[in-house]
Amino acid sequence: MNSYIPTSLEEALKILFEHDCYILAGGTDLMVQNHRSSGLLPTFKKDVLFTSQIEGLDYIKVINNELHIGANTKYISMIESKFVPTMLKNVFVEIASPSIRNMATLTGNINNASPAADGTVPLILLDARLVLQSKDNKREISVDDYLIGFKKTDRKPNEMVTEIIVPLTDHKYLWRKVGSRKAESISKVTFLGAYKTSNNKISDFRIALGCVSIKPVRSKQVESKYIGLTIDELKNKKDEIVNDYNQLIEPVTDQRSNKEYKRKVAINLLKSFIDSIK
Amino acid sequence: MLPEYKTSVKKVDNEEKMSGKALFTDDIQMDGVLSAVTVRSKISKGKILNIKLPTLPEGYYFISAKDIVKENVCNIIFSDWPVFADKEINYKGESIGLIVGEDKKICLDLVDQVVIEYEEKEPVFDMKNSAIHKDFEKGDKSVLNDPNLESYTEKFQTGYQEQVYLETQGMLVYLDGDKITVKASMQCPFYIHKAICRTLGYPEDKVRVIQPAVGGAFGGKEHYPSLMGAQLATALVKIKKPIKMVFDRKEDISFTTKRHPSETTISALIDKKGKIRALDIHVSLDAGAYIGCSGVVLSRALIAATNTYKFDYVHISGDAYITNKIPSAAFRGFGSPQSIFAIEMFLAHVAKKFRYPGVLYKNQYLVETGDTTSTNGKFRDKIILKELIVKAKEMSDYDRKEKEYSKPNSYRGIGMSYFLHGCGFTGSGESDLIKAKLIIRKDKNDIVTFYTSQVDFGQGNRTTLKRIVVDTLGIPEDHVIYDAPDTDKTLSTGPTAASRTIIIVGGLAAKAAQHLKDIWVSGKEQEIIEPYVGPDYIHWDEATMQGDAYPGYAWGVNVVEVSFDPITYEVHVEETWSVYDVGHAIDERILVGQADGGILQGLGYGYLEVEEMANGEFRQKTMSDYIVPTSMDAPKMHTAFIDNPFKYGAFGAKGAGELTFVGGAPAVCIAIEQAIKEKIYKIPANPEYLMEILEK
Amino acid sequence: MKIKFNLNKKDVIVDVDPSMRLLDVLRNVLHLTGTKEGCGEGSCGACSVLVDNMPYDSCLTPVINVMNKQVMTIEGIRESKEYETIANSFAKMGGSQCGFCTPGMIIVTYALLMKNPNPSEEEIRLALSGNICRCTGYQAIVNAVKDASKGGKHE
Repeated sequence: MNSYIPTSLEEALKILFEHDCYILAGGTDLMVQNHRSSGLLPTFKKDVLFTSQIEGLDYIKVINNELHIGANTKYISMIESKFVPTMLKNVFVEIASPSIRNMATLTGNINNASPAADGTVPLILLDARLVLQSKDNKREISVDDYLIGFKKTDRKPNEMVTEIIVPLTDHKYLWRKVGSRKAESISKVTFLGAYKTSNNKISDFRIALGCVSIKPVRSKQVESKYIGLTIDELKNKKDEIVNDYNQLIEPVTDQRSNKEYKRKVAINLLKSFIDSIK
Repeated sequence: MLPEYKTSVKKVDNEEKMSGKALFTDDIQMDGVLSAVTVRSKISKGKILNIKLPTLPEGYYFISAKDIVKENVCNIIFSDWPVFADKEINYKGESIGLIVGEDKKICLDLVDQVVIEYEEKEPVFDMKNSAIHKDFEKGDKSVLNDPNLESYTEKFQTGYQEQVYLETQGMLVYLDGDKITVKASMQCPFYIHKAICRTLGYPEDKVRVIQPAVGGAFGGKEHYPSLMGAQLATALVKIKKPIKMVFDRKEDISFTTKRHPSETTISALIDKKGKIRALDIHVSLDAGAYIGCSGVVLSRALIAATNTYKFDYVHISGDAYITNKIPSAAFRGFGSPQSIFAIEMFLAHVAKKFRYPGVLYKNQYLVETGDTTSTNGKFRDKIILKELIVKAKEMSDYDRKEKEYSKPNSYRGIGMSYFLHGCGFTGSGESDLIKAKLIIRKDKNDIVTFYTSQVDFGQGNRTTLKRIVVDTLGIPEDHVIYDAPDTDKTLSTGPTAASRTIIIVGGLAAKAAQHLKDIWVSGKEQEIIEPYVGPDYIHWDEATMQGDAYPGYAWGVNVVEVSFDPITYEVHVEETWSVYDVGHAIDERILVGQADGGILQGLGYGYLEVEEMANGEFRQKTMSDYIVPTSMDAPKMHTAFIDNPFKYGAFGAKGAGELTFVGGAPAVCIAIEQAIKEKIYKIPANPEYLMEILEK
Repeated sequence: MKIKFNLNKKDVIVDVDPSMRLLDVLRNVLHLTGTKEGCGEGSCGACSVLVDNMPYDSCLTPVINVMNKQVMTIEGIRESKEYETIANSFAKMGGSQCGFCTPGMIIVTYALLMKNPNPSEEEIRLALSGNICRCTGYQAIVNAVKDASKGGKHE
């Protein structure tokens, strides 16, 4: 295994053009997954590109009412940033532990592509996009399209995520993370529901559910059925909404919880979200 | 308001532990130390047909049953656990051998390359093969024939619990001349010492065990280090170079001993007014593959089965079952948390059946001074349980909250548990088995040194034992030297277990110091070897389970308040209030430390900590999967002590270490029951289980 | 490769694989054993160190990630005036039992009080929430942080 420690994006992209690498930022996932035993080096099966020395990828800025987050930006910077909306902060502040929030990046959370990731849930809800760059190309892709399966992304070996773009909105929302304990916990179920109203009608309606499928569940098709209804009409369709999402989710039993619980809680959270709409 | 601890002194190990200077086992540096990695069985039951080793590079060794010097047995109370599995495999993960060598990575690679051929047999995972059965009764049996009594039965289950001491198991062995020398994370230096002497057939003076700093134990380092010691000493005899084995967390959780899972069935004969006239309790414990200490755990579970209550007639029985799983062993409480959980829940349920609010129902059965114990012994010392209850109610505003939260959809609950804990070894074990002896000596400069084999793995006993001697002698603190145990310097004052350290060894230290004071001649070297002499009224028959089970009892009351989220079935523990009778509280700050830590671990046992077994393997193997409370889960805790000096303890002190654990699980479950208005029969009462109850 | 960083206010250069865990560099290369390993996966906080004044789990940190940064371990913190206050408060409130989590707890307390000299109980519990203690039930540690935040002179 070779280690690459580029200091510029250009250099990093050149390395990726030539070598298939793990891209390691904070290390909080990869260092666990490749850990063998105390005192031993991690056992990476591929070369590793460390991003920590790359200049210019640690930033948060707002351009045209969109939040642009550099790939090397840590959770703590976003939690403390005046540009980052509360919805995202509320999600980020419950991720892992304070020290991991000091070390880890949202980019890493996306690329780890775990079904239990918290960070991807609001990104999918907010139609966030990623900028991927390779030596000769630059493209944008929605986070939803980028996550293609269990621990699988659409990243080509010569690409890296360089920026996350999140449209800024003023939705009302309900976020709940259900873990095994109050802090430092890998989620069992996460729920994020958001809506907008105008003239007592639902002008936007979005739901994203984490841990209940291989990636966060969101269906624009289902959501569109309920946009345009009055609040009362929406509330009267609670059973139908529940039924829609009951069919969309497919939780599995693991060492942290069971599928019956995850399903039930996801639906309970959905119901309480609908009840909360006003 | 922050507390002020008026009866407390500075802890002797504060400075070294806070500054990071304290040396725990893995911190000890030694030149040329080899690593050892365990080769473990991959099946739960069967026979080893053949072990095919990879080619071992020069300086790498495979140590196994064939290297046993004298006896392939690990000395634990009942010694059936082999040092290395020889032919028979009885659980998945059983040690078959060690690969020892300079580079840990190479050792790990070699372990992966060992190929073992097995003849697999059908493992037994359920509790059906009883290895130990115990049975006893108390009171007038004729009540059983009363046709007017109604029978009521319930069954309770408790799960595994992992100790999660922050420092994993670890041991360093080396030769000092021809003496086997051991430094390890441990609870009981003389247990390791004895286990090594036995497997090697060595005389006592050829083995030395020294205690470095120890990062928590909770019972988990009572027996397992004996196995590691026997294995590493066997390797050391062959290799003659220093060897270190420190477990990663995953190996520690996967393969070291846990709290016994249990199943308790309680049947009562109840009269028309709701009074229990007769009680039948049966406790089943899952011992795992080897009996080890399970017989004693079972005894203690059964003795505690009627908890702080008396009934006209009780029949108590229990079995420890052998299964093809990791052996279960010591964990704070040692059997009593399982049976006390069951009786507390049972009484809460009978109270509901007869519509008694809160604790009113169980209060009618409280034992009082002079009553007989469950084993027909006698509660001789003054019982102040009722005072504890009054105080706990007052602190927690229990009566008001109990009434308020009993309303529908309160999603809040308050629960109150009562409990006792027998201190010291069972029955006359202290006088007959342990036979502690304590050396105290004074040099020409009137500097006093004393020795015990008690390990301070966080409880603060190094501070308190020293203080007992300092205060008894009435000399300045820096005139007394008291270091961590070293089997070359100390006689055995017994294991650091069974809540015996302060009540038994503290008492012994006070007595020894008093004797030294009595004969004190300034400027002269003097020495006293003080043997333990138990109260002469203690008579115990382990075979019939009759007599005085313990030298003394400590008592407690926990009140726990919870809130419940009906959307996610999550419980949050809001606040706890605890009142204890631990005799006389010598050092309040240290005791509050035991109380806070104990109840949180007990709460975790009751509602949070899940350790499941599937096909002979634990499903939660890491600290991100085996969940213990964080600072945000922990409630605000209030603790009080009521003074009730015990005649035989140092300065009137009794035991406190285990007591503070016992009441957490029943109190939190009774509180949850009030919040959800349903009954709980199983711990941990985690959200998945609560959902099952509510949605059935 | 040679990696330079500032450790406890002195520059050090270590010649190691860049993927080596900072924890192993501290304990096995530099022989600073005050930083402990409790879980090896960022779940317990016993290995907490400060990197540019922020708590990091050194068991998850490849040493390359601290290149040219400032690392403080308990061996450096214990030389500070703030440590004295914190350690006194831990002693006064009974915040250290077995001691294995204690250096990590002190590191996290130090970082919290530098950033927020007067934290509320909730802020304290949040700051400590990545550090597991199995002995104290946390109450004594929370009390110790409160006491230290008042300079050890509480009412």
